Amino acid sequence: MQEQMIQHQTELSSNMVLLCRFLRKKGFPLSAAEEADALTAITQLPIHKEIHFKKALKAILAKNRYQFEKFDAYYTEFWEQLSRATDSKTKEKSIQKDATSDTQKQQARFESLKDWLNLNPSEEQMDIATFSDLEVLTKKDFADLSEDEMRLMMRLLKRLAKKIAHQKSRLRKSSKKRNTLDLKRTIRLNLRKGGAIQRLVFSEKKDKKLKLVLLCDVSKSMELYSRFFVHLIYAFQNAYDKIETFVFSTALHRVSDILDNQEFGKAFDTISERVPHWSGGTTIGSCLQDFVTEYGHGMLDKKTIVLILSDGWDTGDALTMKSAMKSIYKKSRRVIWLNPLAGNTNFSPEAMGMKSALPYVDVLASAHNLASLKAALQAVQKRRKVLIPY
Amino acid sequence: MKSQELSQIRNMLQEQGYISDGSIAMSIFLAMRLEKPLLIEGPAGVGKTEIAKVMAKALKTDLIRLQCYEGLDSTHALYEWNYQHQLLYLKMQEEKGKDVKALEETIFSDKFLLKRPVLQAITHTKKPVLLIDEIDRADEEFESFLLEVLSDWQVTIPEIGTIKATHKPQIILTGNRTRELSEALRRRCLYLWIDYPDFEKELAIVKAKVPEADAKLGQQICAFMKELRELKLEKTPGISETIDWARALASMHLTHLDKQIVEETLGVVLKDWQDIRHTQDALSELLEKTGVVSRIG
Repeated sequence: MQEQMIQHQTELSSNMVLLCRFLRKKGFPLSAAEEADALTAITQLPIHKEIHFKKALKAILAKNRYQFEKFDAYYTEFWEQLSRATDSKTKEKSIQKDATSDTQKQQARFESLKDWLNLNPSEEQMDIATFSDLEVLTKKDFADLSEDEMRLMMRLLKRLAKKIAHQKSRLRKSSKKRNTLDLKRTIRLNLRKGGAIQRLVFSEKKDKKLKLVLLCDVSKSMELYSRFFVHLIYAFQNAYDKIETFVFSTALHRVSDILDNQEFGKAFDTISERVPHWSGGTTIGSCLQDFVTEYGHGMLDKKTIVLILSDGWDTGDALTMKSAMKSIYKKSRRVIWLNPLAGNTNFSPEAMGMKSALPYVDVLASAHNLASLKAALQAVQKRRKVLIPY
Repeated sequence: MKSQELSQIRNMLQEQGYISDGSIAMSIFLAMRLEKPLLIEGPAGVGKTEIAKVMAKALKTDLIRLQCYEGLDSTHALYEWNYQHQLLYLKMQEEKGKDVKALEETIFSDKFLLKRPVLQAITHTKKPVLLIDEIDRADEEFESFLLEVLSDWQVTIPEIGTIKATHKPQIILTGNRTRELSEALRRRCLYLWIDYPDFEKELAIVKAKVPEADAKLGQQICAFMKELRELKLEKTPGISETIDWARALASMHLTHLDKQIVEETLGVVLKDWQDIRHTQDALSELLEKTGVVSRIG
C-alpha cells in the first residue's frame, strides 16, 4: 500500500514536470518555482476532482490574459497527447516483450513523452522559423504585408513613435519624483523660513516638445503604401501631443481630429469617406501650396518637423512645387521626405516633382520597410546643419 | 482561518454579497493557502477591487490600500523619513550638547519613520489585506520596488536595515491592462482574469446587490447590458454600472423597461457622449433583442 502511494506521487510529479515543459513550449514562462507551487497546491486541494485540479493549475501556471484563456485548451491537448503517447509506446513494447511490468510501462510513457516534447527535430526547426519572423518583418516591403503582419507591425510602430516622442530635453522642471535635488530652488524656497532647510525640491528632465506636421500622399500611385502610412500616422498621432496631420491627393484635407479620438478602423473609414479623391491622381505642388497659404503661418515654426510621405509623382506644375517646398523649408526645423520608391536600388529622384523639391529636403529616406523607417525616424531629432540654399 | 476549504471560501464570498465563479474562488483559495500575491486583471468595473474589500471583511482584518498613479515612488509607497521632525529635534538638542553619534541613532529610529502603506502592511500586528490598486498606472520602476516585498516579504531601509514582515500580508494587485506588466512581477503572483459576467451571474449579482429591484426588471436590465456590451463602444459598461442602473430604476419603482425610460437614464450606464449617441441610434434594435418591444417606433 505504502509503495503504491509513493509510486502514485512520483507519477503525478513527473506528469507535472511534463505539463510544465509542454506549456513552456507554448510560451509560458515557467520555472522550477512554479512547478513546486503547483505540486504544493495539489496537496492542498480538498477533493481530487479534475475540475478543481485544472482550475488550480490555471491559477498558478497562467501569468497573463492570453495564457489564462488558452490554458484549458492546452491542458486538454496535453492529456490527449499523453494518453496517445502511452498507448503507442506500450503497444510497441508489448510486441517485443510480452510481460511488461507496471514500472516499465510508466518508464515507457515517460520516455515517449520526452521524445515528443524535446527531441523532435522538425518541431524545433519550426520554432526557429517563427522566432526569426520579426527579423524578416523588419526587412519586408510594406506593400507586401499580410493582415497579421500588419498587426504586429502596428505594435512595433507604436513603440517606435513613443520612443521618438518622449525624448528628454536638457532643461529641467520640478518633479514629484525624488531623484535629483534641485538645490537652487530648495534654497530659495527655504530662505523664507529663516534659512533652515525644511522642504526639499526635486527636479527631472523636461520632455522635449517637438511639433510634428505630417503630410501624407494617398493618391493612386501610393495605394499600396497609403494604408500602411495611415497606420503610421495613427501611431504618431497617439504618441505626440502636438501633431497635425493632412492627407492629400488632388486636394488637401486636415484629418488630425479624426485620428485623434477614434479607434483605427473607424478613423480609416471616416478619412476615406471624407477625402473624395482617395487613390486618385496627385498634384503635390498645389496641395503643398495650399498647406503653406492656409496653415503655414500658424503651424510652422522653428520647432516643427515636417514629414512628407509621398512618391513624388506630381502631375502639376514643378514651379509651384518648388516655391511651396521652399517656404516650408524656411519656416520649419527640418523637412523629412519618406519615399517608398527610394528603397529600389535603381531609384533616382527622376520624378519631376521630386527633383524640384529635393534641394529643400533635409532627409530623403526610403521607408519601404521597418528597418529603413527606423533609421529615418532616428534622424528626426537631429538639427539641420546646412544653410538655407538660395 | 487556517483550515479553510474551497467551499468555505465560496460561502464566505457569498455571505459578503460577492457572487463568484469557480476560478475566482479557486484563485483566492490558493492565494491564501500558498501565501502568494494575487494579480487580478480585467476590464473596468467587474469587481476586481471588490475582491480585496470582501476578503478583508471576511477575514475580519484591516484593508490597507495603495492607490497607484503615475509618478508614485518609494517615498509614497514604502516609507519616508519625517524630515521636518528630524530637523526640529536636532535644533532642540543643539543646546544640550549631546553626543553626535547618539543623536544620529535617534533621528534614524522608528520615531521619525513615516510608514507608508507597504511598510504598514508588513509591520501590522494582524495579518492584513494589502490592496495595490491599478498597478499598471504606476511607473515601471515602481514595479521593481515591489518585487522585494512580493517575494521575500521584507523592506530594506538603508539607515535601519531590513524589516521582515511580522505577518505575511495577503496581497491583491489589480490592473486594467493600460500597460503590460513586467514578467518579473507576474512570475511572483497567481493570476486571475475576470471578464464581463454572463447573464446568469450578472442577474445573481443584481439580485444580491439590489434586492428591492423587481425580478422582471432585473432580467431585462441584465439582458440589455449583455446586448449593449456587444456594441463597439468607447467605454464598455461594467457590473458597477449595471448595479447603479438597477438601483436607479428600482428607486423609481419601475417594474419593466421601455424605450423612453432607457433613453432618459442612459447617462447612468454610459459616460461618453459618442457612446450615448451611438446607443440611441441602435436602441430600437437593442430593445428588440432584449425582448422589450417598444410600443412606438
